[in-house]
Amino acid sequence: MSGIATVMKKEFARFFGDKRMVLSTLLSAVLIYVVYSFMGTAMQDMFAPDVDHTPIVYAVNLEAPIEQRLQSAGLSVRQIGENEVDSVKERISQRDVDVVAVFPIGFVELATAFNPQTVGGLPPNVEVFFNSTDPNSSNTFMRVVGLLDEYEAYLSNRFSKFDINRIDADMPVSPDLATEADISATIISSLMPMLLMMFLFTGCMALAPESIAGEKERGTLATLLVTPLGRSELAAGKILSLAVLSFLSGLVTTVATILALPNLMGGGADGAIVDVGIYSTTDYIWLGVVILSTILLSVAVISIISAFAKSVKEANMAISPLMVIVMVVGVTGMFGGIAENPMLYLIPFYSSVQSMSGILALDYYTTNVAISSISNIVYACIGGIALTKMFNSEKVMFSK
Amino acid sequence: MSVILKTENLEKTFRLTAKQQKLQNTKAKTLKAVDNLSFEAYKGEIFGLLGPNGAGKTTTLRILATLIKADGGDAIIDGSSVKTDPAAVRSKIGFLTSELKLEDFFTPNYLFDFFAKLHNIPPDVSAKRKEELFAKFGVDKFAEVKVSNLSTGMKQKSSLVISIVHDPNIIIFDEPTNGLDVLTAKVVTDFLMELKEQGKTIIVSTHIFSLVEKLCDRAGVIINGKMTACDTLENLTKEKSLEDLFFDLYAETVGEAV
Repeated sequence: MSGIATVMKKEFARFFGDKRMVLSTLLSAVLIYVVYSFMGTAMQDMFAPDVDHTPIVYAVNLEAPIEQRLQSAGLSVRQIGENEVDSVKERISQRDVDVVAVFPIGFVELATAFNPQTVGGLPPNVEVFFNSTDPNSSNTFMRVVGLLDEYEAYLSNRFSKFDINRIDADMPVSPDLATEADISATIISSLMPMLLMMFLFTGCMALAPESIAGEKERGTLATLLVTPLGRSELAAGKILSLAVLSFLSGLVTTVATILALPNLMGGGADGAIVDVGIYSTTDYIWLGVVILSTILLSVAVISIISAFAKSVKEANMAISPLMVIVMVVGVTGMFGGIAENPMLYLIPFYSSVQSMSGILALDYYTTNVAISSISNIVYACIGGIALTKMFNSEKVMFSK
Repeated sequence: MSVILKTENLEKTFRLTAKQQKLQNTKAKTLKAVDNLSFEAYKGEIFGLLGPNGAGKTTTLRILATLIKADGGDAIIDGSSVKTDPAAVRSKIGFLTSELKLEDFFTPNYLFDFFAKLHNIPPDVSAKRKEELFAKFGVDKFAEVKVSNLSTGMKQKSSLVISIVHDPNIIIFDEPTNGLDVLTAKVVTDFLMELKEQGKTIIVSTHIFSLVEKLCDRAGVIINGKMTACDTLENLTKEKSLEDLFFDLYAETVGEAV
């Protein structure tokens, strides 16, 4: 057993003693933060309207009640005649004008009189034209449509509890009933499993081929093989130390991602949209268990491939297809519901993605997550045994 | 004199790839690298395995060092079989070959301690031994220099020192002076003599006749994986020089004069 500790210590000394290795790990985390934040800001800028821009609504047949609503919402209104509509539309497509709304004559009366239960037929129609490629136009369009919906709700729910003009303490302020935790969980659970799988796997990929194929290529592994160190101790020492190092590298990049996530999602520095505080200690413990077991599995698989390879280059080439598979499996976490069938939690990597998605969406069965973690550890142990056999095989170790 | 190393009918066959077949201009799918090889080494002697390139010397030594397994036969080293108890063999031998390298990133000092731990040497014993060996080979001045920055000679000296970190009774050296300048080669050969004086058993493989003549008490001539002669150096060179004997044996075995 002391051999395992000795090998692990050497692997740690190799990593932490190499400033370039430590720096590149930290640098990748900083880059992730900067790139994600930049992406978020850039996307926001692309789709956000100008702050200084005063939205103008050109309107045909506009009546006072509607005009008041538009103006009180901060929209500037210009009345135009029906014959001007085409020229205004042209100006909208050229991004000179935000929106034109064409109301039917006597809209307020028609709308107030409309009752689907008694009158039947269609309600009066308002045509609103905008330009989707112009953020100012899109934004104004959304606001006009919102105000019209509000007006419609005001008319149809005049006596109901949901009358928007009768805001009481016991009444939902927003019609969107999702809690902030739900929104955060949905955003995090759709993105993070894929990103986590990517970081964990690339973390392992950055270390294991160098540590195993590299040592084999340089002849330093054979030097270990002529010592009394057991092959199983060597395999265990390598897998465990690489797992710890991959975990640390994954942790650094994950923290960077979590910090960058509010910026990426456009929540700004205050992180209003994405809040990682929604998870309980138990959630974090399960997430940690899944991540650790996934790293063990990844390290074991990458180590086996690296031991087969004759060089680091060959190992990296052989691992690349697996990397693509893991990424694709990671993407599955972004779509569809979370698998409930426990048998699916025996599939390596897929089970990790499902478990992480479930935990992050605050919607998981402990049994399934446990099955996933235990199966990962069992697979990693089988991998460890296979690696021991490979260290014992002269064909694998000394093939040229 | 007691036998400390005994090989009995060692055999090793390698499968040849199509590329190797082409390179060696043969249609045979296998190559018998070691063919029914038997020899003994006595405690406290230097035994030389002499043979041309590809004769099977390195393969034999690798079997003795338990890096590869024999297809047939066995070797008993200080009472342990390479076949059934390779771990015990590894703790009893020191094995040095140019193919076994030290990690470039670390210093001789770190690596000495690391290998001492792998051999379960108590820290105080290992520290004392390190001091002695580093001073003897001049590694002490470079103890904290990364292996990648050492000269070839210093690398070889560091490897030598580290291979005997556990003070083994049997030392196996594959081509001990290959690639070394005359000064470093002399340091190595002098050290082998010194180890012999300490009662250690040394097995060396080489294709250099003068090295065998200078160092070895006994030698075996390997040609095409077969032991063609094995005796004391005195007996081997009774009638002719070692070089002449070798060429005669070669002509006999391969069937053509060199």
